[in-house]
Amino acid sequence: MAVLEEPIKGVQVVKNYIDGEWVESRGEVRDVLNPATGQVIGKVPLSTADEVEAAVKAANAAFPEWRSTPPMARVRYLFRLKELLEENFEEISRIQTQEHGKVIDESRGETRRGIENIEVACGIPSLMMGYNLEDVAAGIDEYAISQPMGVFAIIGPYNFPFMVPLWSAPYAVATGNCVIVKPSDEDPISQMKLAELVEEAGFPPGVWNVVNGREEVVSGLLENPGVAGMTFVGSTKIARHIYERCGKAGKRCLANGEAKNFMVIMPDCNVDNTIPALMSSFFGNTGQRCLAGANLVIVGEDDKFYNDFVAKVVVAAARIVVGYGLDQEVQMGPLKGQAKKERVLGYIESGLKAGARLLLDGRRPVVKDGYPDTCFLGPTVLSDVTPGMRIAREEIFGPVMSILRAQDLDEAIALSNASPFGNSAAIFTSSGRSAREFQYRITSGNVGINVGVVAPMAFFPFGGMKDSFFGILHAQGRDMVRFFTDTKVVIQRWF
Amino acid sequence: MRLNTCSAIIALAREMEEGAAVFYENLAKTSPADAGYFLGLARENRKTATNIERSYYGVITDAIEGSFTFDMAADEYLMDFALPADYRAALARAGEMEDKIIKFYRDAARQSQSLLADIPRVLSLAARKRETRKARLAALGDEGR
Repeated sequence: MAVLEEPIKGVQVVKNYIDGEWVESRGEVRDVLNPATGQVIGKVPLSTADEVEAAVKAANAAFPEWRSTPPMARVRYLFRLKELLEENFEEISRIQTQEHGKVIDESRGETRRGIENIEVACGIPSLMMGYNLEDVAAGIDEYAISQPMGVFAIIGPYNFPFMVPLWSAPYAVATGNCVIVKPSDEDPISQMKLAELVEEAGFPPGVWNVVNGREEVVSGLLENPGVAGMTFVGSTKIARHIYERCGKAGKRCLANGEAKNFMVIMPDCNVDNTIPALMSSFFGNTGQRCLAGANLVIVGEDDKFYNDFVAKVVVAAARIVVGYGLDQEVQMGPLKGQAKKERVLGYIESGLKAGARLLLDGRRPVVKDGYPDTCFLGPTVLSDVTPGMRIAREEIFGPVMSILRAQDLDEAIALSNASPFGNSAAIFTSSGRSAREFQYRITSGNVGINVGVVAPMAFFPFGGMKDSFFGILHAQGRDMVRFFTDTKVVIQRWF
Repeated sequence: MRLNTCSAIIALAREMEEGAAVFYENLAKTSPADAGYFLGLARENRKTATNIERSYYGVITDAIEGSFTFDMAADEYLMDFALPADYRAALARAGEMEDKIIKFYRDAARQSQSLLADIPRVLSLAARKRETRKARLAALGDEGR
């Protein structure tokens, strides 16, 4: 089976998209690497303060006309964008594999998830409606209306470079706001492609802008009074910082942080169906997702069940084919960069030093077709992990499974709830009672019952609790509609 | 070669359908009496491949186990698309081809139960339709045209 053709040929020069124009930045330029091949596939600018200011100005200038465009007309641009994305589905997916490293099934899944948010945002004429009541007092009516707020900044992460900005941008523009997207500087090319399609869909200049760069750009957007709010996905440290700064400046904020997700295995689970779900959860996207399984907690004192289950997990993980994601036989791609690989290796070493047992060693992976192993790691499974170890507490963001044991469900829930993070947790069981207890008591924003990757559909909010989320309203769906609008209450009486 | 990913399964489905479609088109050229039927089969093959791809692209998401669901051996579904000169031999080969395709779809449907419902459903449907076709091909062979 052939390796799929690469859509990015040569080196792509990434530009900013400001006020409907493609603008080459005057800022310093960095390489964008394909982590599987090591090739430079793009040059991304670190935009200057002036360029950030220009984007904010353009977006604010476009806002009055855009907000007064009827909602039905606004979503027609999104319908057109959706059609263009469907036409370019495969190219966009392959770009993600080239710039990030994820395998093609995962890239296509990411593209689909992004499009689904556009589809949901197309329901804005209904979703944005206010409410009213006649005769709140004699002859007096009262109604609440939702109004857009202005310009929002959308800061994307490297692990889902295409999808995450679409958790919020479609809702922002559908509700009548204008956006400035700052893609990850590590993999900005799929966002550039998206902006090309935005342009082709005919959005008015200034409604959708893209400014590339790093923290200086984010700081510039945070400081700018012309920005009404920000959405962010990244580390907890930065998420908290952005949340605090937005709070001080009176901006709206939604900031998703890190995770440490517990997958709880009950002895009554359906083992054959659970194993592939765990492979996807722990090793999908090479473990680089905030919904990835990190700690596998096997419940019960039955050593036979424990040993048999762990043996099956190790066999399944050992069979995973590692390589370039455009090869359709490959199940797991590289980490996004060498530094990320080194970081994961550091965690594995720390686990071993702390007494964890290495059941599957991914440190020297067999990479299909001999691609340089600079960024590759294989699936790694560690047992005898205890809650105090760093590998059990901190986000590793790589293909590492840490196995812990718990005497009973209570202990398993307590282990998960003791984590400062609360992004996702899952239970695998055939008991409705256990599942209900888990769902009720677990302090995680996304809960899976026999589901390993608890990724909410676009019409549900993407949850998150504790240090995994800073804000009130979540990404996707109706929460986004509220996030991007202010409520105005009108009380009227006619003499 | 192992088939582990959804993408590999879908790609192989397209390859098999296209190979079989070309086989039927060639068969149509050499047997004018049944040409309409064989050309119809070729069209149906391509339609099936398109339907499967459409289902896949419609439901593939990052939440499903698309890269970890399958464990199939491509060798089990290898087939010979060369057209024998003899009409009966050609029909026999068509029957073998259809058997392989049916097995492929059934195996893939069984292993994709953890994917969103559309994928196993569309694969099972493709297998079921082929049973009817197989019976018709066998009947043509019996008629001995």
